[in-house]
Amino acid sequence: MNNPFESTGRVKQSLNTQKYIASDEIATIVFLAQKLGKPLLTEGPAGVGKTELAKAIAGATGRELIRLQCYEGLDESKALYEWEYSKQLLYTQLLRDKLNDTLGTAGSLAEAADRLANEEDVFFSSRFLLQRPLLKAILCDQPTVLLIDEIDRADAEFEAFLLEVLSDFQVSVPELGTLTAKHRPFVVLTSNNTRELSEALKRRCLYLFIDYPTLHEELAVVRLKVPDLSPKLAQQAVEFVQKLRNTDMRKSPSISETLDWANALVALNAKNLDKQTLEDTLSVLVKHEADLQKAKRQFLAPPPGRGKPDEFGRFSGN
Amino acid sequence: MESRILQLIAALRASGVRVSLAESAEAFSAVDLMGIQHREHFRLSLRSTLIKDVRDLPVFDKLFPLFFGNGEPPMMGGNPTDDMTPEEAQMFADALRQFAQSLRQRMQRLMNGEQLSREELEQLGQMVGLNQMDDLRYQEWMAQRMMRALAFPEVREALRELMEQLQQMGMSKERIEEIREQIQQNMQGLEQQIKQFAGERIAENLSEQPPSENMDNLMNRPFQALSDDEKKVLQREVKRLAAALRTRIALRQKRAKSGQLDPKATIRKNLKYQGVPMEIKYRDRIRKPKIVIICDISTSMRFCSELMLSFLFALQGQIRKTHAFAFINHLEYISDDFTGSDADEAVASVLWRMPSGHYNTDLGWSLNDFNNEYLDTLNGQTTLIIVGDGRNNYNDPRVDIFSLMARRAARTIWLNPEPPILWHGDSDMARYAPLCNNVLKVGNLRELVSAVDQLLST
Repeated sequence: MNNPFESTGRVKQSLNTQKYIASDEIATIVFLAQKLGKPLLTEGPAGVGKTELAKAIAGATGRELIRLQCYEGLDESKALYEWEYSKQLLYTQLLRDKLNDTLGTAGSLAEAADRLANEEDVFFSSRFLLQRPLLKAILCDQPTVLLIDEIDRADAEFEAFLLEVLSDFQVSVPELGTLTAKHRPFVVLTSNNTRELSEALKRRCLYLFIDYPTLHEELAVVRLKVPDLSPKLAQQAVEFVQKLRNTDMRKSPSISETLDWANALVALNAKNLDKQTLEDTLSVLVKHEADLQKAKRQFLAPPPGRGKPDEFGRFSGN
Repeated sequence: MESRILQLIAALRASGVRVSLAESAEAFSAVDLMGIQHREHFRLSLRSTLIKDVRDLPVFDKLFPLFFGNGEPPMMGGNPTDDMTPEEAQMFADALRQFAQSLRQRMQRLMNGEQLSREELEQLGQMVGLNQMDDLRYQEWMAQRMMRALAFPEVREALRELMEQLQQMGMSKERIEEIREQIQQNMQGLEQQIKQFAGERIAENLSEQPPSENMDNLMNRPFQALSDDEKKVLQREVKRLAAALRTRIALRQKRAKSGQLDPKATIRKNLKYQGVPMEIKYRDRIRKPKIVIICDISTSMRFCSELMLSFLFALQGQIRKTHAFAFINHLEYISDDFTGSDADEAVASVLWRMPSGHYNTDLGWSLNDFNNEYLDTLNGQTTLIIVGDGRNNYNDPRVDIFSLMARRAARTIWLNPEPPILWHGDSDMARYAPLCNNVLKVGNLRELVSAVDQLLST
């Protein structure tokens, strides 16, 4: 099979087969990241499909997706590797007899120690190395996609450490020596911009800002992901969401929320976006009490009109 | 093309976007890869490699079209005289005759939908002083001035008269409307051309500006010698420096961590395995400092204090706990004001509660306040930092309280913008200084950065 990422057009197509609608911008930058072998840093509001993009890339290239979810307090032993201490201990216990055989025949203490030292490799082999996502991505025999999710949640310490790994994709495990990646993984980092990332990290990445989609794009996403929703209702729903995003909200609805809402509409068997349906389902879309009140005031207050299909169905001809 | 890209990068830098050498090299390899035939691909190659911050995206979007054109030349409406009947053309010529020579020429060109030549634009630019401009905010204004130089307002007025004239001569209403619209479009085309030219020229001037030399100077300039604009620039710079410092300190603290075995914690942890050491605990070697900071926010010290506070709050993760106090003539607890990250806003809100008068700084009284209410914030793990010039307006310095505080705290550091030679007059610094572990001179941003670094390194 030929490379699914050989041109921007192909990138777009193959992401599309993974049910991910990529704009030209996304496709171009993904293509570029892949060609230059650079990590891709995606930023944008929550729920616009940053993580989904990494999954789609993995799906489209047929690579394994290795995900590292960041959180406060994440450290090397959780991200890179850990010695499986209890397993080592268990093996020593079980192999005690064998050890006795080996060591028993030794003439002196020094000889016994030497013999034990010869066997040391057994206990510090990769058998006892618990691979965490980063090491897994480095050691994997196949090329992988490494997703480092919500890097802004990790501490600055971890970011600094990650920098070292990302720059040359090798880590040194003191007992085993330096391990180098066989294939450079395609790295995708996501950030919700809750804190400033360090410049050094940004410098090493290509930058992709994903914003809320346009009406057209969002409609395409809804049609693709929730095919059961009637085209007319999908149009109405997306237009409503777009309108909602233009009002000043504490948390604007994201695409994932639009999709949840679309699914809810399907489940409720809604035919139209009338007032009743809106009132029942609005809380799927708007998650803050204050926002909910505001949205209700704005879109439900004038009782007739607003929710009628002719108001929303205006563009249904397109 | 290459020099054009370099110019764009220089202009980005001059507008405050930080583009490193590695990033510009990256941009070139991206462009090599994507080619330049496809304008959108070209734009994205540059953008994804050069811009790494959402806030810088608008700057790029503004500058890019100025260096690489909008793609299409401005829309011209076409020539309205083309499809006129002979009678209409005659009418038109008659109507035109009433205008003065210069105006008539202008009108004629507008009718024909001619664009301005490069030389003409060049000349216009010279006339309005475009070559001295290096700030994009003036693009609109410059364009306005160039249009005025082209007598746009007069031409507009004349157009209206011309239409009236034609109507009187008996041309049909729709025809007049058509002609008017075409001319209008031609005018808009010209307007666009002028705007584009003004923008391009300003952007080019911008890219010729010597970069960053500015910032170095600012960092070394004493706080008192800064203008308000420069202070704003520095405020922004502090945030960046704090982020850089944070990474460095974080790395330092992380490296120091692989310390010794912690037997107590290990035994405690492994009680559940009947004492068999399944999980091993290590000791953290570095203890993140706890900080109590007392800042003088009177007029002379205010900016220095603001920057210091910005720093401390940006470094929140590397510090266990910060209690911040501000004083002029009495003491206030201000940690609660720092809900966001903007120290200048927070200090402004404190100042609003505590307006600064003239010569009313009173550290002695403020220390007394501290003694009465907050002394328990100081203990064996706290670092006490005072930011101030130690000038007390001949009030009682209360050295007794200060020595009590210094004894309670693990470390006492004084940041003073004045060097020791100036510690006379109403300065009580000479009396406070022996009680401090460290007195650092912090007269400009560079000294402040190294002071903060020192503070967190031990």
